[in-house]
Amino acid sequence: MSKVLGILNFEPSYVHVRGLEEFRPISATSILGRYRVIDFMLSNFTNSGVEAIKVFIKNRPRSTVEHITHTSYNLNSKRGKIQLLHGDVDYSNNEIFNVDVQAFKTYMQFIDVENPSYVIIAPSHFIFKQDFSELLDYHCKSKNDITVLYQNAKNTDKEYLMGDLLSIDDNKRITAFHKNRGKYKSGNVSLETYVMSTLTFKQLVEEATMTSSLYSLSDIVSDCARAMKIGAYQHRGFCACISTLNAYYEANMQIKKEKELLNLINDDWPIYTMTNDSCPTLYKSGAKVSGSIIANGCQIEGTVINSVIGRNVIIKEGAVVKDSVILPDTFIDKNVKLDYAVVDRLSIITHIKDLKGTREEPIYIKRGDRI
Amino acid sequence: MKKNNMVAMILAGGRGSRLFDLTKKVAKPAVHFGGKYRIIDFALSNCANSHISTVGVLVQYESILLSSYSARSSTWGLDSNGGGVYVLSPREKDETGLGLYNGTADAIYQNLDFLDQEDADYVLILSGDHIYKMDYEKMLKAHIEANAEATIAVIEVPKKEASRFGIMNTDKNDRIIEFEEKPKEPKSNLASMGVYIFSYKTLRKYLKEDAKNTDSAHDFGKNLIPAYIRDNLKLQAYRFKGYWKDVGTIDSLWEANMDLLKSNSGLDLFDPEWKIYTDDASATPQCIGSKAKIDSAFITQGAIVNGEVKQSVIFSGAEIQETAKVTDSVIMNNVVVGKGAKLTRCLVADDVKIPDGMVLGKKNSSDILLVSKALLAKAGESHE
Repeated sequence: MSKVLGILNFEPSYVHVRGLEEFRPISATSILGRYRVIDFMLSNFTNSGVEAIKVFIKNRPRSTVEHITHTSYNLNSKRGKIQLLHGDVDYSNNEIFNVDVQAFKTYMQFIDVENPSYVIIAPSHFIFKQDFSELLDYHCKSKNDITVLYQNAKNTDKEYLMGDLLSIDDNKRITAFHKNRGKYKSGNVSLETYVMSTLTFKQLVEEATMTSSLYSLSDIVSDCARAMKIGAYQHRGFCACISTLNAYYEANMQIKKEKELLNLINDDWPIYTMTNDSCPTLYKSGAKVSGSIIANGCQIEGTVINSVIGRNVIIKEGAVVKDSVILPDTFIDKNVKLDYAVVDRLSIITHIKDLKGTREEPIYIKRGDRI
Repeated sequence: MKKNNMVAMILAGGRGSRLFDLTKKVAKPAVHFGGKYRIIDFALSNCANSHISTVGVLVQYESILLSSYSARSSTWGLDSNGGGVYVLSPREKDETGLGLYNGTADAIYQNLDFLDQEDADYVLILSGDHIYKMDYEKMLKAHIEANAEATIAVIEVPKKEASRFGIMNTDKNDRIIEFEEKPKEPKSNLASMGVYIFSYKTLRKYLKEDAKNTDSAHDFGKNLIPAYIRDNLKLQAYRFKGYWKDVGTIDSLWEANMDLLKSNSGLDLFDPEWKIYTDDASATPQCIGSKAKIDSAFITQGAIVNGEVKQSVIFSGAEIQETAKVTDSVIMNNVVVGKGAKLTRCLVADDVKIPDGMVLGKKNSSDILLVSKALLAKAGESHE
């Protein structure tokens, strides 16, 4: 395989995950109890044999830095390298990285150092399983300038909003990009994953900066739809775009089904994450648990139905957790009832006994809240 | 100030024949325990948490898995510069040729060059097959304060069980005056935990003498300790309070697993200050199906439960299928319990597939049933 550089992009401006986003970028957000969102895409890279990866973070790098430095992602510890490139806040309190292209330009020297023949740019707010070596093979054979990964999706009127919809011709070439404003019920959704030669990548970055300082990679790619050969490569199987709190909630609920879980994570396609050295979970006598996935280190005395429970969560007797996503290190006291809730890390729920959201609008409990 | 350099030596070469099929291809310290651990994780994690940086693991019986597992020092955070886990298997030597380890003392004797090279001031001798959490740093402090040549960790056991252990008889200052291996009529209830600290210089001298003695069994309990007592060297007992268990039999291994379900067993694996580290499995979270029923269980990641689990410990990658019932049992790694199968008071070995509908074990059985591939093969033959 020619040398490939993996670039994990930061989330575009349309991503707003209510509550959770105030504390960390979507990439570092806990999902399925024991992972971070970023683990899925980074494992895609390393499982596909990509050894050099640059992770771009817009701001607040702490949680991502901590997580990535303690996870090996099964890379050879000498040959493999994951480098974090993060933006900062300047004196006038403006974010330096507003758009991805600015970030790529700023750190181009670190991309040059790797001397890659190809770059694969993948998003940090998507979860799917994709062998990137197959994608690269296709790209090379098809003689495309750029190949974009896409999914034929239903529910585009409710999901993937503000992402790109693709018009694809019979030769699997993309003829136009449209912003998804929810007008159509189904369509070909861009998974914001691009393969191209390093040369093309650098050209696009240059052109984008010359056009406008607000131009993103997806903007410039869509501008080039006529001038360049942009191919489409179909992804099949589970895919989630985590752009809202509701989408985050739904992604947890979808993947927690046994079939989906084992399809997404298995011995042939492991998802690597940081170990916490938590012991197994203790289900005490009187606990009732069903239809849920549970991380290690929990102590459960109450009832858990159809939920996702993170590491080291304590659920006391009489508590009922239903249709909820509980992030790690949370304490849920006796007789507390949770329905359609997303409870952020380190929070303690004691006094308020009844918290109820809806499937469309899950209630969000802030990180570290004591209520 | 130079730190007192204590090197730990874990005796992990025994066969563990009372675990039968569990140790057929795997040394006892590498047998799985408590959902996600291997037995030796306890000794290694105790070392790491006690700020010991150099650990020798003495292997002999079926050592491929144990050696490769132990060698990954970073699992327990023992990968600091100058430290690490050293796998010490018997080797061919210039003077003596190829020699196996003949006894616990001989195993250490054959590695005196390693201890010399590590510049040990003290040597901590441990067993690789005990489940407990212990701060060896505190024990070293007591050893130095007592100005002892050797300190032996002891635990109080019920008097009627004392005849199963090595018993230390002490004076009022806890100085050991007599050691009796499995005495018929025990004079005290202080059992040796198989945890010793020796001041290295003296130990080195006694090991060399012991090696020359052709009548010796080259065993710490039978030969070394008695020699120290005979020569009136200061041997101190160090009283340990807390959970400690030798998991040398199927019943005791099962019991130790069951202790994890009790909140008052004294073995707290949830304590963030004294974690037990182990190989990180890249498994899914545990998946509890919509028809599952769980009543008192210790379950780890990678397990899939769709049936009924009561008073049991479920290990990584194990699957309990719909309508299966698992009660008072230990289900080890990657076991599949088929639909409608019923297990009671069983310990199911790694990778065993229990066919649909099979019923194994009895509610009031005196012994725990070890379910291995060999047992299932036999059951299959008798059916035909």
